Amino acid sequence: MLKTTPFHERTAALCASHAWRRWAGYVVASSYELSHQREYHSIRAAAALFDVSPLYKYAITGKDAARLLDHVVTRNIQQLGVGQVVYTPWCDAQGKVLDDGTVARIGEQSFRMTAAEPNLRWLQDNARGLDVAIEDVSESLAALSLQGPASRAILGGIDLKYFRLAETRIASIPVAISRTGYTGDLGYEIWVEKKSALNLWDALIAAGTPHGILPAGMLALDVARLEAGLMLIDVDYVPARKALIEGQTSSPFELDLGWTVDLKKERFVGRDALAAEAARDPLWRFAGVEIDWDSLERLYAEVGLATRLPPQAWRMSVPIYSGAEQAGYATSGGWSPLLKKYIALAHLRAPYFAQGTELEMEITVEHQRKRALARVVKKPFFDPDRKRA
Amino acid sequence: MNRTVVIGGGADALVAAQMLATAGREVLVIEGANAPQAEGWVPRPVLRALKLQGLELHWPDPWISVPLPGGGRLELWRDMARSAESIRRVSARDAQRWPQFCKRMARLARFLEALYAEPPPDPLSAGFAWRARRLGGQGLEDLLRILPMPVAELLDDWFENDALKGALGGAGVLHLLQGPRSGGTAFRLLHHHVGCPPGVFRAPRSNVLELLRRLPRVELQGAAVQRVAVQAGAVAGVVLNDGRELEASMVVSSADPRRSLLEFIEPGWLDPELMRAVRHVRRRGVAARLRVQLDRSPGFGALSIAPSLDYLERAYDDAKHGGVSRQPYVEARCDEQHRLDVHIQYAAQGADCSKLGDTVFAMLSEHWGEAVPRERELLSPQELAQTEGWPEGQAHHAELALDQVLWMRPLPELARYRTPIEGLWLCGPAMHPGAGVAGAAGFNCAREILRR
Amino acid sequence: MRSTDVIVIGGGHNGLVCAAYLARAGRKVLVLERRERVGGAAMTEEVFPGFRFSVFSYVVSLLRPEIIRDLELPRHGLHILPLESTITPLENGDYLGQWNDHDQNRRELARHSLRDAEAYDEFGLMLHQMARAIKPLLGMAPPDPTSLSLANLSGMADLARHFRGLGEKRFHTLHKLLTMSSADFLDEWFENEALKATKSASGIIGTMLGPRSPGTAYVLLHHYMGELDGVFRAWGFAKGGNGSVSAAIAAAAQAAGAEIRCNAPVANVLVSRGRAKGVVLEGGEEIRAKLVVSGADPRRTFLQLVGEKHLPDEFVESIKRFRFRGSSAKVNLALGELPDFTCLPGRGAHLRGAFSISPSVAYLERAYDDAKYGEISRRPYMDVVIPSMLDPAMAPPGKHVMSIFVQYAPYHVNGGWTDARREALGDVVVDTLAQYAPNLKSAILHRQVVTPADIERIVGLTEGNIFQGELSLQQMFFLRPAPSWAKYRTPLAGLYQCGAGTHPGGGVMGASGRNAARAILGAP
Repeated sequence: MLKTTPFHERTAALCASHAWRRWAGYVVASSYELSHQREYHSIRAAAALFDVSPLYKYAITGKDAARLLDHVVTRNIQQLGVGQVVYTPWCDAQGKVLDDGTVARIGEQSFRMTAAEPNLRWLQDNARGLDVAIEDVSESLAALSLQGPASRAILGGIDLKYFRLAETRIASIPVAISRTGYTGDLGYEIWVEKKSALNLWDALIAAGTPHGILPAGMLALDVARLEAGLMLIDVDYVPARKALIEGQTSSPFELDLGWTVDLKKERFVGRDALAAEAARDPLWRFAGVEIDWDSLERLYAEVGLATRLPPQAWRMSVPIYSGAEQAGYATSGGWSPLLKKYIALAHLRAPYFAQGTELEMEITVEHQRKRALARVVKKPFFDPDRKRA
Repeated sequence: MNRTVVIGGGADALVAAQMLATAGREVLVIEGANAPQAEGWVPRPVLRALKLQGLELHWPDPWISVPLPGGGRLELWRDMARSAESIRRVSARDAQRWPQFCKRMARLARFLEALYAEPPPDPLSAGFAWRARRLGGQGLEDLLRILPMPVAELLDDWFENDALKGALGGAGVLHLLQGPRSGGTAFRLLHHHVGCPPGVFRAPRSNVLELLRRLPRVELQGAAVQRVAVQAGAVAGVVLNDGRELEASMVVSSADPRRSLLEFIEPGWLDPELMRAVRHVRRRGVAARLRVQLDRSPGFGALSIAPSLDYLERAYDDAKHGGVSRQPYVEARCDEQHRLDVHIQYAAQGADCSKLGDTVFAMLSEHWGEAVPRERELLSPQELAQTEGWPEGQAHHAELALDQVLWMRPLPELARYRTPIEGLWLCGPAMHPGAGVAGAAGFNCAREILRR
Repeated sequence: MRSTDVIVIGGGHNGLVCAAYLARAGRKVLVLERRERVGGAAMTEEVFPGFRFSVFSYVVSLLRPEIIRDLELPRHGLHILPLESTITPLENGDYLGQWNDHDQNRRELARHSLRDAEAYDEFGLMLHQMARAIKPLLGMAPPDPTSLSLANLSGMADLARHFRGLGEKRFHTLHKLLTMSSADFLDEWFENEALKATKSASGIIGTMLGPRSPGTAYVLLHHYMGELDGVFRAWGFAKGGNGSVSAAIAAAAQAAGAEIRCNAPVANVLVSRGRAKGVVLEGGEEIRAKLVVSGADPRRTFLQLVGEKHLPDEFVESIKRFRFRGSSAKVNLALGELPDFTCLPGRGAHLRGAFSISPSVAYLERAYDDAKYGEISRRPYMDVVIPSMLDPAMAPPGKHVMSIFVQYAPYHVNGGWTDARREALGDVVVDTLAQYAPNLKSAILHRQVVTPADIERIVGLTEGNIFQGELSLQQMFFLRPAPSWAKYRTPLAGLYQCGAGTHPGGGVMGASGRNAARAILGAP
């Protein structure tokens, strides 16, 4: 049997589409309505409510808590202030990314870490000899993500800076709120004890209805995260633990996460390999690609069709060329209804990942493999001021 | 900063220290609390490198005596013909096969000897293939067949007499939590045969430690190391138990790998997978030791009580499940002062050894004739861990199992003595070639250091 | 007097595979089978009216996919149904389940150990890599490292290149798998006892070894090599029982022109002027052939069918040293109702999978200890499946058949395999299983107990060893069945060997038969 999240009683009742999918052994809604369109628009126009409970979560406490996390992740955790959150990948000893998530400092000796994959064993093995307690709270802690321009208002005008965390109450329910999310927009993630999950859901819906809150599923989230240029494990990169060959692994530099690697730290897992890589010219980079509309339209017109746009964000490997060479491959892509652009995230070889490089992405038109013009552009594709304001 | 600290006072530590000192480094040996035992055979390249004169290897002769069920003893001598005579009295067939057996085992032992005086070979290299091929067709076939075999199968293939097989089988399970029916024990027999003349399957005692301690140029200190200080991924020095800090740019440790890498070093310098692998290096102690002072010679130089392979196997079974052998395997060696040094297997770590002394004492008393015991002392594996410095009571620091020898000893990442920490090297019984080959690991380690 | 191109002695699955490949290549092949039906230990029999048993081997996994494809076995009736789970009942009334679905499996493991749930995927990945590393070796005739011939030197160089290509990390992991005990190997990955025991159980199958014996990690890997639909380690049940595997191969062989004669026991190989010229049947009939291929095990082939006097002394010594100690038995039950397991009451998906009675490594090791000294395990290891849950045709409607594989039942049991001892074995098996499914005894309509002595007597496997010789390193690869005679030829010109007593060993793989055929046809 698959697991259900603490919110399942509510989400199941709302899932008119019966479109469920698996996430970390749970069932979650792909969309609630028959189409995910409205759910997506609510992210950018009002507020969307996502059940993100399947995230793996760890409570790390004790004298050496900061030391442990500082040793495991690539960012500097010792310097993290109470109430601060960072996004970070972490690597194996060869400097290849195992997973990515967030680390939040809740107290002087108390942290919460989120991850896409289970990491208890990794944390425990790194904790040998250290004075630290690691608790897997993945099942006991439920989580919601409230994203969109109305989200602050729905939370009572909460004064919380970007990537900060606060412990507070919503309708008398003790929660932790972090100003984080996976949409590249103004938004908050709310962490609550499992037993209060349904009450929290109800409270948020009640507070949010006047603002246009809409429960939203994974299909909508996928479009938003694409617009935000955010990578997804197993889709955009193979975690080192699952890689069958070395070529499948990725370093943080290759994933355009070089900014998260703090080589000034004396030691952390993978440091030596990453320092060596930093001294070399990069071979690959994860970049944003925008497909040229005119070129796309032309390809369809040639066979007498109107331009067909993907109805959902896709997660496939799509070749990208520069002339006769394969310059790389896109791993996520789709149509942005907001930007009215066809965008993709791609792994590109040097020198093709340079901004502005003109490339071609493969498109299948009427069963034939064609190529549409594309260009390397800056990530994120959509970066509203309200995200940080 | 030219100083090298060598941790440990055994043959490996002293050999490594001498070689580094001869090459111009300032060497300080921190011996630690334990007085290491007199160790065995020394490979010739080590003697040459240190210009060591006066090495004496001592085997009792007969090198083993085995009580027979009907009375009397089977005695095996340094002289193969004499052994054959002795065996003939219990089995003409076995006596006839003895010379062939000795010859074929000796050939494999010589092969291992050559491997032991250097760092472990690369098994996939053409060079190694060539060397293996020089054993000849039969020799190579023996090597590949015998290495994974249980010593019981090897001995059953050759011999029929239980006492003979029991005596030889004991060498296959020395300091190993396995019985003679376990795979890999035939290798153990061969390892034990290294450095011995054909037909002798027990390690010698030698005066190598004495000789090493007399060599000049190396300062010895009797303190103990508590920590190895590391800065920016490189060795910075050591901290002693009494709090003193000594600067050093190189540390060579003959302590077992878990101690050297997990206890001496602060967490965080080694990657977690290596740490996990180090923790999984098996080093389970299985031996207890009894010392008995007799008033006169017991009438044997070395006595083995292991009447058959099944006897050994049952002794192992008891310990396998965490206990002490109800009928232990006992091997007693007597010196000129009539002191019996008795090796006892098996006693699992943590098992209750309170009755073991009485059991073994009673077993031996049937064989020492008129001699009168004056004093006795039993040491359990835990106690041996304290007195001898054997981690978990395992004399070899890392079990001599087929997955923990040669290029796998104690881990493939550490097999060439170097560690991921700049300036930290490992020698000692846990490194290739392993315990019983005095000084070789130290020699190999020093040569690797000097090569760079 | 009859004459043909090739005689295959024995209609076991390897002999049939060999015959099929040879027939497809245009040779005239005659298969001579002693019993009234082909299949050897891969057979189905209606032992009690309406109840069909895979009397001996009872699951399929290791059957080489290339053989299934080459011989078009599905066209000849082979259909393998996947087994989706293994349940290990625990002594405290709980159970440990292993499921094919990744999420389901992880959830179940997490119930027992979060660490093990996380380690499981990495463990699976590692074994997958190891299976891929070993796989090319299965289909090759092992090169002889002691020979200086060009073919062998070049074969060894290829092998070295292959192992070097694995990279250091994988090569070392392979070294560990080849030399460690399954218990020690698993201790490095997992903490849960029942999980370790269930996994290490596949390391003791068909051996006279315990989970703490070095060399069992290799047997674990050997059983992992099974591929179904591109997935390693998948086990399945052949519709119609394991007899349908043999029947399909036999049909493929016949379709290619091979002739199969049953009730034709071979007494000995006809030797003339140092060559095998054919065979003589019990009863005197002589059949000549240009080549003779024996699917019987090495001891039977060389010491019985050929005879020592026709073979070099050294070779005979090696064959005499080749070890067979059988340790496995079967108990086949006809049931009037399904067993009701206390740990998972009622009817559910779990009844379509396997049950492993292996609650801890110590349990398995003690079962082995009993056998070491010639006794039946007082608390035996068992692997249980209910074939009728996957294939209802195996039993009358509403009734069921149960297949129980048991260890240890040593061939050399103290006092010998008398009828009384056979029944005692059956009793201890049923008593043990009934502890976990209390309705079992009352559900039993009929019982068949097959001891190693029965296995030897009925299907001709020496000492009842199901692999035609133990899968220990010292008699594997170029040493199987004798040093330097691992390429399916024998010292007797004109005689080949194709049974599981050759590389790569046993387990209803068919690989030996195929490799032998290729050696005969001169394929590289």
